Amino acid sequence: MASKLSNLAICQGLSAAELSALEKIAQESTLKKGGHLFKEGEPGDALYVVLSGSVDITKKEQTLATLEAGSAVGEMSLIVEGETRSASAAAQTDVTLLKLPAAAFQKLLAGNDTGALKVVHNLAKVMSKRLALINDKLVDSLGKKKKEELADFGKILNKWSF
Amino acid sequence: MHLSDATHHYFKKAARIMDVGERIETLLATPLREVKVSISIEADNGEIRTFTGYRVQHDNSRGPMKGGLRYHPDVNGDEVLGLASLMTWKTAVVNVPYGGAKGGIALDPTQLSVKELERLTRKFVDQVQDVIGPTRDIPAPDINTNPQVMAWIMDQYSKYHGHSPAVVTGKPLELYGSRGRDSATGRGLLQVAREILKDVGSEVKRNRFAVQGFGNVGSHAARLLYADGGKIVAVSDMHGGVHNPEGLDVPALFDYARKMGTVKGFAGGRHVTNEELLTVDCDVLVPAAMENVLTDENAPHVRAKIILEGANGPCTPQADELFEKRGVLVVPDILANAGGVTVSYFEWVQNLQHVSWEEERVNTELEKVMREAYEKVAAISRTRKLPLRTSAYVLAIGRVGKATVLRGI
Repeated sequence: MASKLSNLAICQGLSAAELSALEKIAQESTLKKGGHLFKEGEPGDALYVVLSGSVDITKKEQTLATLEAGSAVGEMSLIVEGETRSASAAAQTDVTLLKLPAAAFQKLLAGNDTGALKVVHNLAKVMSKRLALINDKLVDSLGKKKKEELADFGKILNKWSF
Repeated sequence: MHLSDATHHYFKKAARIMDVGERIETLLATPLREVKVSISIEADNGEIRTFTGYRVQHDNSRGPMKGGLRYHPDVNGDEVLGLASLMTWKTAVVNVPYGGAKGGIALDPTQLSVKELERLTRKFVDQVQDVIGPTRDIPAPDINTNPQVMAWIMDQYSKYHGHSPAVVTGKPLELYGSRGRDSATGRGLLQVAREILKDVGSEVKRNRFAVQGFGNVGSHAARLLYADGGKIVAVSDMHGGVHNPEGLDVPALFDYARKMGTVKGFAGGRHVTNEELLTVDCDVLVPAAMENVLTDENAPHVRAKIILEGANGPCTPQADELFEKRGVLVVPDILANAGGVTVSYFEWVQNLQHVSWEEERVNTELEKVMREAYEKVAAISRTRKLPLRTSAYVLAIGRVGKATVLRGI
């Protein structure tokens, strides 16, 4: 199971001993196609690692992303336990999952487990990258230029011309 | 909901269906200019009295702006703005080369003498003469203003800018007014009635009409629908109404109304209130008096299959939705009562060319404009499966939008 965790971005830089400490709190499970890992608005109590198959992340019936094997879902719940899920996750195919319960992870952290601390550091890196990405998108959306705005409107008017 | 809010509601609904985006929506909804002036006059008793006047110019992408000037205690900036935007969409639906504007002075006309009204009107023109004009913004009569007020405006404006009959429309016939202007809105309604009835496989003479309002719009609509063979089963004015399921003797009713100053008490039918008139058994209902008379309370009891909005905003948006669900066809104000602004446009054209059209020409051209507007709106409604009102707004937004883009921002 160590190899399964070691490939994850959030487990970068963990030693074999640190990985095995994490393994101890992890639970493997399977989910049939269409089943929900969690739904938007539920309290988040665990991180999931997709071991096989793929998982759809949806918000208000819109698919935001599809995650393949090796990806982690719901990282935030490890840090802010009980925070409501901002999106839903459902199995697009039959999937195998590894669940890291937040409560157990918090216990490791409280005991200054170095593996858990490194995971938090890695999560911070992931979040920083996402924040930068969102900032870029925000700047893009603010900066829709007059030319583009009018071109888009022109297309709409053609679609609605009679 | 006020008419100004309802207008914005319908505009937004159509803009969202077209998916024009937030920025373009804001651009189209925001008025070009809002003028607020204070007007002080000497009253007949020698006292100084101060009033507030408004002129809101909403959009000029399709041409000089056009809209009424009303004298009413409820006149305020927000309401005038909504009405100015209504004029932008109305002129676009009938495709006359105008934008939209509206104005007014907050006053109670029953508390002022004719001389005071004249002084007030002229002083208002002094304040706005640099923003109105034949190629800028052309006022017209509205609530409590009439051809005499328009004559004062023309005269006062001409003192600054030289002889300018085209600065206002709705002028007296003797002073550059147009033949057929009085009956224009009623005749426009008649044409729209003919078109929509043809669409549903019928004609005016096979239908029963109820008309609320017996003023400039309702009286001509009733007269013209009757002349076209329609059965007028009920009419009313502010005092009350009269109902006869067999059809009213309209010429006799006109004689009575001329003598008595009201249709109430006419012997050719039984008495109905304005509220009752809306739910009498008829095929076509023409609310041509006040706004917000058809609400979610009485809409379920309306028996007409077609409603022609002779007045501005007679249906609340809630009533409008109920009618849509029930399959009652509502021809919206911005189409149904656009005959008035259309003949205003003809008056302006005649003034600019220094000619005077025969009434027959006015009527023929008006019927053509109304027919084309109806056909366009009905085609959108059919192909896009939208109610007539939304279709009219879609047509208007498309035309204003095209002009805006072509001109450049």
